[in-house]
Amino acid sequence: MASVYRPERETDFASFQHATPIVIDNGSSAFRIGWAGEAEPRVVFRNIVQRPRHRSSGETVTVVGDTDPALMKYFDCTRSSVRSPFDDDVVYQFEYMEYILDYGFDRLGATSEVSHPILMTECECNPSFSRARMSELLFETYGVPSIAFGIDDAFSYKYNQKLGNCGEDGLAISCEHGTCHVVPFLKGQPVLEACCRTNVGGFHITDFLRQLLSLKYPYHSASITWEKAEELKKEHCSIALDYMSELQIFKNNKEEAEEKTWHWQLPWVPPPKEEPPSEEELARKAALKEKAGQRLRDMAAAKRSQKIAELEKQLSYLEELMEQLDGAEEQEATSILGRSGYLSQQEIKSAILKATQSLRKAKGESNGNEDKAEASGVDKYPLVSVPDETLTPEQLKEKKKQILLKTTTEGRMRAKQRRAEEEALREKQEEERRSENPELYLEELRARYSELTDKVEQRKRQKLNGGQTNGNYSSSGGVGRGERLNAAQKERMRLLTSAAFDRGKGEDTFGMRDEDWLVYKKMSKDNDDEDDGNDDEESELARIASKIQEMDPTFVSKTEAVQPTPEPPKAQTLTAEDYRISIGLERFRCPEILFQPGMIGIDQAGIDEMVSISLRRLVENESVKERLCQSILVTGGCSLLPGMIPRLESGIRQFRPYLAPLKLVRAADPLLDAWRGAAAFGASSKFGRQTFSLADYREHGENLFHRYNIVYSL
Amino acid sequence: MESEVVKTDMVLPLTLGFKKVQTADKYPKGQSRGRQWKHLRYLLQAADASSLPPDRPNYLNIQSPPSIYPPKRYCDITGFEAPYMDPRTKLRYADPEVFKQIRMLPDEYVQRYLALRNAAVVLR
Repeated sequence: MASVYRPERETDFASFQHATPIVIDNGSSAFRIGWAGEAEPRVVFRNIVQRPRHRSSGETVTVVGDTDPALMKYFDCTRSSVRSPFDDDVVYQFEYMEYILDYGFDRLGATSEVSHPILMTECECNPSFSRARMSELLFETYGVPSIAFGIDDAFSYKYNQKLGNCGEDGLAISCEHGTCHVVPFLKGQPVLEACCRTNVGGFHITDFLRQLLSLKYPYHSASITWEKAEELKKEHCSIALDYMSELQIFKNNKEEAEEKTWHWQLPWVPPPKEEPPSEEELARKAALKEKAGQRLRDMAAAKRSQKIAELEKQLSYLEELMEQLDGAEEQEATSILGRSGYLSQQEIKSAILKATQSLRKAKGESNGNEDKAEASGVDKYPLVSVPDETLTPEQLKEKKKQILLKTTTEGRMRAKQRRAEEEALREKQEEERRSENPELYLEELRARYSELTDKVEQRKRQKLNGGQTNGNYSSSGGVGRGERLNAAQKERMRLLTSAAFDRGKGEDTFGMRDEDWLVYKKMSKDNDDEDDGNDDEESELARIASKIQEMDPTFVSKTEAVQPTPEPPKAQTLTAEDYRISIGLERFRCPEILFQPGMIGIDQAGIDEMVSISLRRLVENESVKERLCQSILVTGGCSLLPGMIPRLESGIRQFRPYLAPLKLVRAADPLLDAWRGAAAFGASSKFGRQTFSLADYREHGENLFHRYNIVYSL
Repeated sequence: MESEVVKTDMVLPLTLGFKKVQTADKYPKGQSRGRQWKHLRYLLQAADASSLPPDRPNYLNIQSPPSIYPPKRYCDITGFEAPYMDPRTKLRYADPEVFKQIRMLPDEYVQRYLALRNAAVVLR
């Protein structure tokens, strides 16, 4: 809907005499207002009210009728929806009715007063409270002198009778917005005793279509508005002559079904193709990355130099302190010590040692440590080579310790050497084997590699699953609710829960034994990253991988290959097809609810059956009924659906005697005939006798309406 | 108010010369009016059922009765004739293909499909 029809304000309101009635066809879908005696209503708009908030001023405003979506951007409609004063076909919300009447009279050109009689349409057997409230509204708020209410279908029938479409006795089938009616007419007067109503109408068709489509295409449910569904209904929906065979076509005959299917292409813009980044872009990004890295490195360097400076300062201070102490008397020394905060010279010494070590570490000389220690191995154990006899018992003890230390270090050294030798030997052997038969060697390496990877994988898996191997291990390592905890985590949870809920029955003995406290250690999170000692395997794996790589440059180490997290599956790019909404069976399924209201859960007879109900209710003989059936008028908005008349005919025939005459006619203009009939009625001389005034209403009150029926015959 | 909005006369003026009682006086601003309307069904019960003689036509008794035909069952998803009903979701379905589909449906959609024929579970 590019442009929405907004009625212009009429200018000739003042030129009408006060006796000229204003005719209002107050239908539940459209409000039509005009002057009695004219051929067309002056103003027509959809009978809806919206009360959105004006965005800039914050006021709640009232908007009547269809609105231009382009203009709705100025309004905040989140808290208000489209309202109708109608429930089914009865006006029951008179606040909204007032807004609509305001707008209607305003568009008709009223300025100072509405002092014209009003002829308003209503539904069959409109409840008297609705009539009463409506008259109150018209009398008190608009100051109209007199009112007449008439049934829209009756006006439509009378108008078509005048056109010759139907006879004096007949039947009106009216499929309106909220309801369907069947009304028999005898001598031009509706027989309300025999009329019947089913609460299904055009609104339900549109709503059914909208809901079906938005359920079928949840992705596009925002595009499937009520207005759009209404448009689709008017354009594409039609009534199947035989719904069951239509279903069969759609179920079994693909080609024919495809022919009957309409497609609605939603606006779709192909997504812009992502171009690979240009050289410049790449260079720029690399430069940026490099810059950032440089900054981080600079920061780290600055921090390190700062730390070094600090340590050096501390060291020099400590050394100075030592010198002072060395050169000082005992008393002075204690005072110096007291000032420095160290307890003894020994402590200062250890502090110096510590400082030098950390300084060395900070300067990056930590690697050299071990070698130096080894180099100074001889100096470290001065007592070892000294014979026992020359030593004091304390020194002896010291010597024993030193011997032990020495042997262990030597042992370690020897083991290291041996390992290195073994390594070299193995390397050599492998080298030989390799040169002997490279193919076989590579094969062996590969086998070993896969074996090891399996092992490592399995260990990881076990760690993750707490030792249980459940078949559907997923390598994604998801974080879902169902993710299993590993064994350590499970144990921790168990301990935590037991600690939380075990409020000791009886005596609390916790802490009696020292081991009790170990629980806390077990509970602490640090336990999680226990090393399972599979380092060996992993290093071996790395070694083999590098070897294989040496020989076979195409080989990719599994750990390397797997390590980068798998990229999330890219959302499939949507094509024009995804933006196409197909209306196949829905074209027939939605209007079918008029004939089978049970499809949307309304337990009432469909419109074809309603005719037989209405005829049954009519207390007349068969010949009259036969006469009625020869003049059936189909009116109301839904009668515009293609296929309506043939379907109704076949439906009604099933209830009529064999070969009984049947004639259906569609109203000349199903939408406007009611207004036209009313306008003709309002212009007749008899109209004045059918109205009631404020005085009448005051006298009788609501009782006035219990027996209120106007005489339609002119 | 924006000029385009004013030009189309979209917004109903607050005061209209032809009215005897202005809307603003009838429904004063700032007062919470709440839901002062009642459902049609309630109004009908309150008004007509008691005061009207049953032999005369009124809004309630002109309603059509249920159809004399046995109701046909249609698949909630496809609209085809549905010989089966899923006991879990209570959705009717036409064939095993649709059955697979309805078993995949999230509950919200099941309820929406059921609501189409007024069979959804209404939680109050």
